[in-house]
Parts: sequence; C-alpha cells; structure tokens
Amino acid sequence: MNDSLRRTLWISRVTFLEAVRQRFFAFLLVLSAAMVLSSVSLRVFDFGHGELKFIADFGFGGMFFFGSVLAVVMTAQLFFSEIDNKTALTLLAKPLSRPEFLLGKFFGAWAVLGVFVVVLAGLQGVVLWSREQELIAAAEQAGRIPTTFSIVGLCQLVLLQWLRLGVVISIVLAISSLARTFLFTVVVGSLAVVAGQLQWIAQDAFLRPTDSPAYGAFLWVSTRLIPNLQQFNLADALVLGSSVVEDGALIGVCFSGLAYLVAYLTLGSLIFRQREI
Amino acid sequence: MNSAISVRHLTKDFRIGIRGLKLRAVDDLSLEIPRGQVYGLLGPNGCGKSTTLKVVLGLVSATAGEISILGEPSATSAARRRTGFLPEAPYFHKFLTGRELVRYCAQLSGVAASELDAAVEDALGLAAMNEAAGRPIGTYSKGMLQRIGFAQAVVHDPELIILDEPTAGVDPVGSASIGRMIHAMRDKGKTVVLCSHLLGQVEQVCDRVAIMDRGKLVLEGAVEDVLSRRDRHVMTIEAMTSAARTAAEAALEAHGAKITSVTHPRRSLEDLFRELVTGSRDA
Repeated sequence: MNDSLRRTLWISRVTFLEAVRQRFFAFLLVLSAAMVLSSVSLRVFDFGHGELKFIADFGFGGMFFFGSVLAVVMTAQLFFSEIDNKTALTLLAKPLSRPEFLLGKFFGAWAVLGVFVVVLAGLQGVVLWSREQELIAAAEQAGRIPTTFSIVGLCQLVLLQWLRLGVVISIVLAISSLARTFLFTVVVGSLAVVAGQLQWIAQDAFLRPTDSPAYGAFLWVSTRLIPNLQQFNLADALVLGSSVVEDGALIGVCFSGLAYLVAYLTLGSLIFRQREI
Repeated sequence: MNSAISVRHLTKDFRIGIRGLKLRAVDDLSLEIPRGQVYGLLGPNGCGKSTTLKVVLGLVSATAGEISILGEPSATSAARRRTGFLPEAPYFHKFLTGRELVRYCAQLSGVAASELDAAVEDALGLAAMNEAAGRPIGTYSKGMLQRIGFAQAVVHDPELIILDEPTAGVDPVGSASIGRMIHAMRDKGKTVVLCSHLLGQVEQVCDRVAIMDRGKLVLEGAVEDVLSRRDRHVMTIEAMTSAARTAAEAALEAHGAKITSVTHPRRSLEDLFRELVTGSRDA
C-alpha cells in the first residue's frame, strides 16, 4: 500500500470513529429503524397496493430521507469540526495533502452511511421476510399466488442507495471546501439533494425541442451538473419485481453515480487546495 | 543551506468582506533561522507571528515572497515530513487517548510500522505523558494537552519543530516542563522555532529572537546581544557594610567609574512559585 493511500485510510478511520460516536448518527439510526419496524403495524394503510410494497416503500422511504439528512448534516459537521476546532491545522502541517484529507473525510463518512444502509436494509429484510412467510401461508390456504420479495434485489438496492449517498457526500464536501460556515453548507447541500431528486424534470424538458438557445443551454448545463438521484430508486423493480430492470441499466446507473462522485470529489479537492486554513 | 527556515520578502494580505478590503498581516519580512538553535518569534497579538508560521507551513499561501524549510520549498510534502508543529491552543479529537493520537500523527507523518511503537513511547516519554497516555484526551488538563501536542509534533523525529504559543494558558510548572522539552530538543541538535509573547520564557529558552510589530521585523539577533548593556555592570556582594560601600565607591571613582544604583537582588515570582509547587505537577 502506498503512503498516500495509507494516510487517506488513517484519516477515514478517525473520521469514521468520530462519526459513529455522534448522538446525531445514533438518533437517526434509531428513528429510521423505528420507522422500518412500525411499517408492520401501519400496513393497514396500504391503500390497496399490497402489504409488502407498503412495508418496502415505508422502510426505504425512511432510509432514503434520513440517509440524505445524515449524508448532508454529518458530512458538513465532520468537515467543519476539523476546520473550526483547528485540528485540520495539526493534520495539514504533516505530510498530508489536502486531497488526501478530503478523500479521508469522504471515505470515513461513506463508511458510516454504509453501516446505516446495511443495518436498515437488514432490518427491512427481516420485516419483509417475516411478513412474506405469513402471506405465503395465507395465499396457499386461499389458493392464490403469493407475493414475494427478492433478497438479491434487496442487496442490489443496498449498493445503489449507498452509492447515491456517496454522491450526496461528495457534493457536500465540494460545497464544504468552498463554504465558510456549517449552516451555509447544510442549506446548499440540502438544496442540491432536492435538485437531484427533481433533476428528471429538467431532463424531460431538455429532450423536448425548444426555441430558446439560452433555455436549452441552461437545461444542458443543469442536467449535467446535477446528478439524477431518482435513478437510484429502483426498490419496486429490484426488491418486489414489479417491473423489469433492463440489462445494463443497473450498471449504467452505477457508472453514472461513480462519475458524479469522482467529479465532485475532484472539484472539492481543487477548491480545498486553494483554501486558507 | 545552513538555514532551517529562510524567509525572503514575505508579504501576506488578507481580503476582508465583500468589497475585498486588503489587510496586510505580514509586510516584506525577511528572516534566516539558523539550524540547531532555539529561535523566538515575538510580538504583540496580531503582529503577524502566527500568520508567518502558517505561511511557512503551507497552511496559508503567501501574497509575495519565497520561503524554504531545510533547503526545500515550504508547503511541499518533503519539507513537512521533516517538520513538527504544535498549533496555538491545540484541540485534538477528544475520544482518542493520548497514545492513539500520537500514534495517529506518527502514521500520518510516515513513521515506518516497525518503528511505530518505539517512536510513540519515546515521544510520550519526552513529554512526560506515559502515565496519562491511556486516558481519553477529553479528560486532559490544559498543560497535558500542550504536552501531548508536543509529543505528536516530535513523534516522527523532525529536524525542525515549530511551536505556536506552547505555554499559553499553562501554569508556571507546566511552562517549565515545556521549557525542558525545548532544551532536550536543542540538545538533540534540532531547530526549535518558538512563537510567543511570554517574554520571560523566551528569554530563558531562546538562543536568538526576532521581534515583529504590525507585520514588520523590528529587531533580530542573539538573545545575549540584544539584551546585554555593555556599558553597565552588576556585582552581587555579600555582607556589605556602609563603610565597605563608601570605600568601594571611592575606589571606583578613583578609576573614573560611578555607582548609579545599589539594590538587593530579587528572585522572580515565577522562580518562587516553581520552587513552592513543583510537587503538584499534573499527571
């Protein structure tokens, strides 16, 4: 292992340890877990969509929402705690480059969100499986075809959600490297997540012909600058098999996510190199 | 190549506010800090000492000028590998123990895995922190924080050690302990740059000093040279009677000398304090 990678890993290790000790992480994890568990008792409100779909939607919705909150707030907090408390002074006075520092922060935060996603997905899997067994028994008695869920699909979804949160972390780090305050980073980072969720609207508009070159240029820039975070929401297709995911589509989504992740980390590193600590 | 730090015509401006008003923190500063000495950088708050050190360490970019550390351009990884730094009022991750912090810093500084344990224990020993090294940093007193900060600065055996206000907020006993660590570093042939406004301590530990004011260098030289008054002499006399004094005055006047004042020698309050409370060092 080369020195640069080793230093990055040491930074990410301490970042991870710092993050998992935060009450904020524990609070959101417990809240999300409670949401997943409560979906069983709330399934009567399934609006006719089927119990497993309701449980999956409710649980994955919690994972998506609280995961996004955690990715924005925790990443900004981890970055600004180093700057504001001046621990960054001690670290950056060592033979540690700024891109290594930023990458260390990224991997530390991403590892924490990996734990978050895996724990919640595991809980979600247990809830879905236990309810699935009851539904299979009931369907066999009634002579109906039971509804099921896919564990492989659940694992694929975990990876997709983790990648989506990685993209969010990289965006927040790029904003942090430029911003002066924690609050500004959280507000702009949250707006970026909302913009990412709505990016498909700009994509749709871009595909329609327009007479205004300026409007076309705006759509072209915004559809490339802002990642489409909706493309990662394949829970129905992957876990419940409600629709077919085309060959290569999953890989395409992964490549797109990784490309944005690398691009935003590179941008953040370039900005952070110029920053005066 | 004999300088540990060479600063040539350093100027640093900060832009303030939306209109970008310029604040000059360091103004055309040139310094040559020789190797193997304890060098004091003095000045009032806001005179540009810390900014100068940050520029030297590459934490802040220079508006103009050139800086090299141990012959290498500053801000390069190679230069920082040979440099240790203790920032002012150091803050470290509170959940780490002292030993974990020093180990973490050693790893970031590139200490080989085979030498890691010995390097960490040596640094902790030098800072007299072995006993408390297993405790979380959040439980440390201010003096212990400075000492563990010193340990993390020297764990990779740097040739140059930069200490920014190492005794700020530390009691005289802790301060004396840090003074001993600085002397130990000098005895090992290291260069120590000490940034402080505690003049008494600087006078005790430094070989050379530079005094800055409003971003400019106003005085630089060996402590002995800048403080000595070659035209004045001090004699300490025991059991002096008034007859002996009259005779001494007459003898001196016969040779054209004149006694301008006669006082009783005093020890400093710091010396008295250290003498009385040495036993209550924090550990």
